[in-house]
Amino acid sequence: MVEKQLSDMRVGEKGKTARIEGSGALRRRIMDMGIVRGAEIEMVRDAPLGDPVEFLLKGYNLTLRREEAKTIWLEVED
Amino acid sequence: MRDVFGEDPEVILAERRYDAIAKIMESAVRKKESKWTFTDMLDHVFLHKALGIPIFLTLLWAVFQFTFAFSEPFMVMVERFFGWLGGFAAEGIANPQLASFVADGICGGLGSVLVFVPPIFMLFLALAILEDSGYLSRAAFVMDRVMYRLGLHGRSFIPMISGFGCNIPAIMATRSIENEKDRMITILVNPLISCGARLPVYVLVGGALFGAAAGSAVFAMYVLGIALAILMALIFRRTLFKGKPAPFVLELPRYMMPKAKTALLHMWERGKEFLKRAGTIIFVVVILLWFLSVYPWAATNGGEIIENSYVAGLGKTIQPIFAPFGWDWTTTVAIIFGFLAKEVVVATYGLLLGVGEESVGDALVSMGIFTPLTGFAFMAFVLIYVPCVATIGAIWRETNSWKWPVFTMVYLTVLAFIVSGLIIGIGRLLGFT
Repeated sequence: MVEKQLSDMRVGEKGKTARIEGSGALRRRIMDMGIVRGAEIEMVRDAPLGDPVEFLLKGYNLTLRREEAKTIWLEVED
Repeated sequence: MRDVFGEDPEVILAERRYDAIAKIMESAVRKKESKWTFTDMLDHVFLHKALGIPIFLTLLWAVFQFTFAFSEPFMVMVERFFGWLGGFAAEGIANPQLASFVADGICGGLGSVLVFVPPIFMLFLALAILEDSGYLSRAAFVMDRVMYRLGLHGRSFIPMISGFGCNIPAIMATRSIENEKDRMITILVNPLISCGARLPVYVLVGGALFGAAAGSAVFAMYVLGIALAILMALIFRRTLFKGKPAPFVLELPRYMMPKAKTALLHMWERGKEFLKRAGTIIFVVVILLWFLSVYPWAATNGGEIIENSYVAGLGKTIQPIFAPFGWDWTTTVAIIFGFLAKEVVVATYGLLLGVGEESVGDALVSMGIFTPLTGFAFMAFVLIYVPCVATIGAIWRETNSWKWPVFTMVYLTVLAFIVSGLIIGIGRLLGFT
């Protein structure tokens, strides 16, 4: 297992949420969307211009800018 | 809670909530193992690396085609109807002042405001269909990168582009932007996007002065407007609305077939705001301009000789401000009337120069109203200065205060003077007159 930022994931890669950095409204918003410890996230695709990024979690599709995705650390299989 | 769990309460709450959800899901929902859904299929194409942007631009083009091609005949109908109603009223009323008030003031005024109703409703219908289908979130996803660079949010793109059709529905469409700062910037710079009503002015002045290069002159106005909108957005982001655009945390919903009833309801809910305003503030301003253009009644011979009217007097009074630009009082009056709606500039010249609308262009040249340089500066001025009264009404309603419409008028007028002044100044340095 390695720790990886959500923004560094490759297409199709999956991981389990380990921790969320940052504070305040953005962090709360991210957690309200279901990104909590243990939540599984799969990287789906980049936007055509490279940013934002689309993920699959809990059966729905969420998009985040790389900047926001950087605050989320995942445990990924080697 | 922090002491007990070693974490923020909100973290604990979110985690416990999702734990509970997971337990309920486990016992209540049977999962189907169909991984490749209809939405996945569509997104594979619509959000494709190479195809995503061309598809977005094509859909956008379709929205505009739909909006403006469909609304055009209705706009003509509205204009004709109020023209006919005005003529009918004028014939039936014996008192000439009352006849002018009803025909040119009320009917003409209502016509010039309600002519915007078809494009507004059509654009809202098209956007409602896109939103209900689930594509609007994808559009924000596709365009966010570009808009973020400009200090805006992906959701700002559609309102900005809608401004090319008409700034009023564009400003009303900013409601889809959640963050207040992002929304305010989008509203404030929107009037710089050349709406459909500016085009007749560009075509008139550009066509008269630039001959074969008229197309380039008109295109230059569109580019100038976009460049200024970007510049002002960056400036506002660094001054009035400091900070970064809102974080982009957006769910891409499943694609759905839009329902006619919901789409029409959406269209009506948003469109009726404009109707409400049209009946109040916009109408009052329109009547005021009518009054200024036909009074003093005896001197104008009942609105026939506009040169003797209050508005002409006003034009002559403020003309010295524009003298450095080489513009005479007819241009000043055209600028005043342009507040009504920018395309009214064309009709105003027709009245003032005493020629039909089709020969206004020739008259501008033969009567020496403009040189190519002063005409180009005028085109830029019409692009930038105070947007039409209906747009000001929209800004007033959407920001719910008088502060922002007044601010918009002031900053745009200052900007118009700066840009036109620069055009004249640089042009003269290069040897143009």
